[in-house]
Amino acid sequence: MKGLVVSIAAVGLVLFGHFSHAAEVSPDPQQLINSMSDASRQLNYDGVFMYRMGNQVNTMRIVHKASEEGIQEKLVSLTGHAREVIRDNEKVKCYFPENNSVLIDESRLGKLVSAYLPSPIESISEFYTFETAGEGRVAGRNVWIVNIKPIDEYRYGYQLWIDKQSNLLLKSELKNQQGTSLEQIIFAQITINSEIDDELLEPSFIGKDVKLINNIQHGNAKNTNDPLSWKATWMPQGFSMNEHTRQAMMTSDIPVDHIVYSDGLAMVSIFIEKLSTTPDNKEGPATFGGVNAYSTLQNGYQITAVGEVPQDTVKQMADSVRALN
Amino acid sequence: MTEGNEHISALMDDDYDQHSLNELLQNDDLKQTWTRYHLIGDCLREHLPDQIDTNLAQRVSAQLADEPTVLAPVAKQNHTLKPVMGFAIAASVALVAVLGIRQNTDSVSPVPAQAVVASTEIAQPEITPDTFTFNEPQVRPASIQSDTPAAMPSQRMSGYLVNHNQFRSSNSMHGGLPYVRIITIESQE
Repeated sequence: MKGLVVSIAAVGLVLFGHFSHAAEVSPDPQQLINSMSDASRQLNYDGVFMYRMGNQVNTMRIVHKASEEGIQEKLVSLTGHAREVIRDNEKVKCYFPENNSVLIDESRLGKLVSAYLPSPIESISEFYTFETAGEGRVAGRNVWIVNIKPIDEYRYGYQLWIDKQSNLLLKSELKNQQGTSLEQIIFAQITINSEIDDELLEPSFIGKDVKLINNIQHGNAKNTNDPLSWKATWMPQGFSMNEHTRQAMMTSDIPVDHIVYSDGLAMVSIFIEKLSTTPDNKEGPATFGGVNAYSTLQNGYQITAVGEVPQDTVKQMADSVRALN
Repeated sequence: MTEGNEHISALMDDDYDQHSLNELLQNDDLKQTWTRYHLIGDCLREHLPDQIDTNLAQRVSAQLADEPTVLAPVAKQNHTLKPVMGFAIAASVALVAVLGIRQNTDSVSPVPAQAVVASTEIAQPEITPDTFTFNEPQVRPASIQSDTPAAMPSQRMSGYLVNHNQFRSSNSMHGGLPYVRIITIESQE
């Protein structure tokens, strides 16, 4: 009996010793997220990840190179159509081999030094709570798990798995209030801080008579100084207008007003398009993974709200849009 | 061999005699054995129908027993057990039917007759039929999922999603995520 007590105590000591050795001080979640944004821009990495939305799964490879010239990045779909997105500080080129077309647009990487997250992250802390929820392992690497929870039902939450060593984001989930995962990205394998061969950043798509859609050349997607003629009269607390553009869509020549609202993390686009006579304009909701959309008709215009927020939020925002004059 | 079984085998061989018949009609156990023997025989001869209702005879006699004008002697019925059995078998037959439909669409060879017999013994089907769908198109990337029939035209929607995601790229903690979505959006013709 005495022996048993001694051995239990010994096991306890060993466990405790092991635990106290392994437990690092949990880093501050907001600091962790800020370093994550830096790492995702400043490091070289090459990895394969899985992207799931709803029950659809695709795998992709990302090659990211950061140098004095700036950032170069190539994203390749490894399942389905062999689509690619190549971007640097100036341009984004989307290759769609299945219909032999390339879409070229202005990159938003260059103009935003503090790109990925609202900087500083503290600015959104009024509407989200942050916590370092534990440790885990993704792509064979040790990670911190960070939860970002919204304060109300109008936005979604995030769970992030951040590499302890490099601060890169290795897994992320977009979650609704019930905790259901709507979208997930998870790396299966990643090489960090190795030399990236320039060849890896070249498009592998070679097509004849490629249909080039150049949004830069057409001067589309320009921020407009025209007085705003539309406005959402309702939005969740903390949302404000970020940007307003007027542009022709790829699908029609009629300019579409695009107003962007954001709380710093979630983002809702509102598109206002004058209805053509085509009868296919409909009202109603649509869902694309973590992105919800809601469309409504008003005085000959179609108003569509799109964003990674709950269906109710896009519906209420779309319904609240009013003409200003 | 018991006396009852002798009666059954006599009857199955068409060795008809009134005594055996009376024995069978008055003994529930014997009636069930009789049904089972016939099922096995049909199975061996591959004469099984798509659906089997082993309780049909019992339900018919139960129905007869409940008829107001009864000339036949009222058979003692176990009312608590029968509906449960009936449900279990109905459920398993439904399972077989669903599997059959799935397999037709997937052009897999039909269920062997033995499988049908086996399934009548499953009280609660543990496998949901949904487990057996293989008809998801795997080659195409995801298309826009619409919640309602009144959803917007997907082409217009694709344009909106691309634009939204491009803006998103300036503001996303995921960096590449907006483009991940663009890659996944169903192509525009």
